[in-house]
Amino acid sequence: MEVFWQRLDLWLRSALPSFLTLLMTLLEVGAWPLPYSGFVRPALGFIALFYWAAHRPDLFSPMIAFAAGLLSDFLNGGPPGLSALLFTAAHQIIWRQRGFFAGHSFLMLWFGFILAVVPFTLIQWAALGLLNWQVAPLLPVLVQLVLTIVLFPLPCWVFIQTQRVALSSN
Amino acid sequence: MSVRHSSSRRFSAAAVLSWRGFFQRFSFVLFVGLAAFLLILTRTQPEAISSLRTHTLDIVAPLLDVLARPALIIEDARVSLRSIVSLRAENKRLYEENRHLIEWQNAVVTLEKENRELRALLKFKTEPRQTYVSARVIADTGGAHARGLIITAGKSDGVREGMAAMTGEGLIGRVIEVGAWSSRVWLISDLNSRIPVMIAETGDRAILAGDNTPQPKLLFLARDASVSGGARVVTSGHGGIFPPNLPIGVLRETEHGTFDVIPAADLGRVTYVRLVDFSLEGGALNPIENKLRAEGKKK
Repeated sequence: MEVFWQRLDLWLRSALPSFLTLLMTLLEVGAWPLPYSGFVRPALGFIALFYWAAHRPDLFSPMIAFAAGLLSDFLNGGPPGLSALLFTAAHQIIWRQRGFFAGHSFLMLWFGFILAVVPFTLIQWAALGLLNWQVAPLLPVLVQLVLTIVLFPLPCWVFIQTQRVALSSN
Repeated sequence: MSVRHSSSRRFSAAAVLSWRGFFQRFSFVLFVGLAAFLLILTRTQPEAISSLRTHTLDIVAPLLDVLARPALIIEDARVSLRSIVSLRAENKRLYEENRHLIEWQNAVVTLEKENRELRALLKFKTEPRQTYVSARVIADTGGAHARGLIITAGKSDGVREGMAAMTGEGLIGRVIEVGAWSSRVWLISDLNSRIPVMIAETGDRAILAGDNTPQPKLLFLARDASVSGGARVVTSGHGGIFPPNLPIGVLRETEHGTFDVIPAADLGRVTYVRLVDFSLEGGALNPIENKLRAEGKKK
């Protein structure tokens, strides 16, 4: 019986990065009681993807990146597959470059995040424009990008604490 | 012996690593392929994708509902606090408003009677019956890329595609996807939203076009239209999607001499919506009615 609880505990801890990424994707579209929250949203799902793909790729498979992207597509009403494709590609790039992104100071991690989120956001904007055959205004996208970069430390702090408390012995 | 043991351990660790690397690469190709397949399917089988999306929405809606609760409590507390602070002033304003409304009520009773008699004289075709469904907003989707809402009402509550989404202030959008107990509303500020409108004061017609910003643009306004900032913008009823005269917002002149519209409702902070079915028969330009008609023919 003890073995069962130990295994369950281990499984739950291992599932934390995936669970947090999907939760962040849901929170990204949540009804926030903040002014202008309906017009610009920080890309919380991408922050989670970046952190876990860089720090615990062993617990964060491309399948979860794909699932989070697809969930984001379905919730936002965009073309299903686009965010899924971008999330999967971002996961692969971050996983390959994790030596650069993780293991340094927080400022370096933040800088690494900027390097990742800027092309991600611009490619997403361009791809949506191509798929809808309509150029969307860039200003709200840039405001959203800045908001995501500025708010990065907040969810990141939660992930760092989660990793320290629940995943340090894993 | 110990050397052999350590080398075999090294070998197995290397095998695990290479297997993991292979799996990562293989799954990357697999999921990229799957995403591309879905994107193609969106173009070739839009109905199937739409159905998949509404089913996903129904599954996720209870979770979104739970996540939206704290925000709702905060918003309710904010509104309560605001009303407590302005209680005295609000009471005075309502007292005055009530006095005016009683005067209006007397006038309306007389006008209604007169209207009824004149309609009877003209054998005027009365407006179709309206049905209402109220729903709570559980997600505000899209951010800078698209503008929409997910609400807690679906087919089981009588919601159908094309219903107008309104708040007390005016029109905010229309229902585009309906699940069993959740639906998606497309806001008037969405990039793909196009609504035939008119200026209430002058009757000048135009198209209200969303551009993902808080103020949608006004397109195709006649050059000789004598409109100015502050004029009321209402639906024109053309296209058969919405009935005429639903309030939308007020006109604002931009620096470039063009016009945009400040919506009457705060589109960034919608908590509850009222979905209205105007039972419109729909015109040739109504894509929703056309779709429903086509589906009916298929059956």
